[in-house]
Amino acid sequence: MGSSTALRELQRELENKANDLSKLQKDIAKNHQVRKKYTIQLGENELVLKELGLLNEGANVYKLIGPVLVKQDLAEANANVRKRIEYISAELKRLDGTVQDLEEKQNSKKEAIFKVQQRIQSLQAGKAKA
Amino acid sequence: MEEPTVRGTVTPLSSMFPVEDAQRAAKRVEDALSEKQQELNQVKEFIADNTNLINLVQKLPEELHHDIMVPFGKAAFFPGRLIHTNEFLVLLGEGYYADRTSKQTVEILNRRGKALESQVNSIKAMMQDFRAEASFFDATANEAAEGLVEIREEYVEENSSERVSDSGSIKQRSSSFSEADNTNVEDEEYARMMSRLDELEQEELAAEIDNEVDEDNQNQGNTAKNDKESDEDEVYARMMSRLDEFEQEELAAEMHNEVDEDNQGNTAKNEKDSDEDERAVTDFDQFSDQIARDHNFRHSEELRLSKPPQQTKDKKTSEDLSNNYRHQQDFSDQSCTDLTVQAVTRDIVKSSNAEKASMLPEVKENVGAVPSSKNESSKPGIDNSKVSAQISKPGFDIQKAFTGSVVEHSPKIQTSTQEQTETSSKASKPVSRFKMQRR
Repeated sequence: MGSSTALRELQRELENKANDLSKLQKDIAKNHQVRKKYTIQLGENELVLKELGLLNEGANVYKLIGPVLVKQDLAEANANVRKRIEYISAELKRLDGTVQDLEEKQNSKKEAIFKVQQRIQSLQAGKAKA
Repeated sequence: MEEPTVRGTVTPLSSMFPVEDAQRAAKRVEDALSEKQQELNQVKEFIADNTNLINLVQKLPEELHHDIMVPFGKAAFFPGRLIHTNEFLVLLGEGYYADRTSKQTVEILNRRGKALESQVNSIKAMMQDFRAEASFFDATANEAAEGLVEIREEYVEENSSERVSDSGSIKQRSSSFSEADNTNVEDEEYARMMSRLDELEQEELAAEIDNEVDEDNQNQGNTAKNDKESDEDEVYARMMSRLDEFEQEELAAEMHNEVDEDNQGNTAKNEKDSDEDERAVTDFDQFSDQIARDHNFRHSEELRLSKPPQQTKDKKTSEDLSNNYRHQQDFSDQSCTDLTVQAVTRDIVKSSNAEKASMLPEVKENVGAVPSSKNESSKPGIDNSKVSAQISKPGFDIQKAFTGSVVEHSPKIQTSTQEQTETSSKASKPVSRFKMQRR
């Protein structure tokens, strides 16, 4: 009887861990999506920066803010885009760090689950013998 | 080889890569591939849009104004007129717009087109990777389903004495061949030398006919005639000794000439004679050189004949997966000998045409002896040779599998080499045979 309660406990533990693992995996997937979005934005911003660099000094540049086009200085627009690129790069770095962290956690969780599974198996084997 | 030793391990491929897993992996890669394909299609659409837009932007400033239907809401249009046809408000991205002329706009659009092209290229490269992956997974799944096994075995070096005993018969064979060749060659060399000697003698005779006018040199003519009549077997020795004689006689003649100072014409003739003699000697040297060369060639071919079986033996002991490779190498060996044979025959053609006819078949015989001797060498290790023959069949699988694994097929595939067809009939159940060996 003792062994069966232990088995039940182990199974509960296994379930909990499996839930945690699936949560982690979801997080990682979300992180990947965000990262993808940011990389696309980074590419777009770099393109914009290039085009702005190619414009001559007196060109009219507008920024779409909500429903209206607001006229902007070329230098100002340039600076804004630069800042945005910096921000996105920093964000990407941060995301990389978190993804790595999450993956490490995921691996440790997987190992833990494997161990629990082994214990369950050995318990079941002992039961079958008895 | 014959003792049933357990040297390696045999693991079915399906235990390492379960069939379902491999198939699942293949499917996942396929999915990724189709995703990429969609992406590629989208980017291609963008490119088409971009080129259309470029055309439009280029055409617009051709007129001062265009009559157009202006969209109004979702479903309504009203007639309008497009003015300022050379002014464009271009979206640069991220909500930034810029006032541009038609020409400048086209430049921007072209740059965008280039960016899209590079995107297409990268996507294509990715797709290629995926395709390679997919084919690999498919192959693995198929192999696992067909029940391939992986064989790993330690490489153990064979005793050299064992090898010698195995290859002894072959050596004997090859040596008997070369002996026959040698006698043949010697005959031919002999005939050639004889003809050359005859030539020389004729020349000398001609020279001596001239000399016969001078009665001083009659002795020489006599010796020459004697030589011609003499037994042909002793021509080498005679030639040499005759040359000595010539020299001595000339010396004597010269002495004589010194005494008889009237006979100045004779000395000139004597000099001519000595010149000819020298030529004879050099010719003779050339002959002997050629003989030596030919012998060398014989020898080298002998070596080559006795070598390949040993090599194959070694490879078999190592149980290398590269049995297929071995066959290829054998073929290359054979072709090598063929090549050398050709070169040699060309040499012979240079020296004498008559020899070529008799030489060619011999050489071919020698080359033919190589595969047959190989078969012999493979017989002692019957078990092993069978195994190797089976293994060597799935050549393409070997290439696909990871390095260091030997893959085995049930003998479905038709084989071309003689050895393989020989053994494939015996080995109908490869797996069971392996089990026997493991026991």
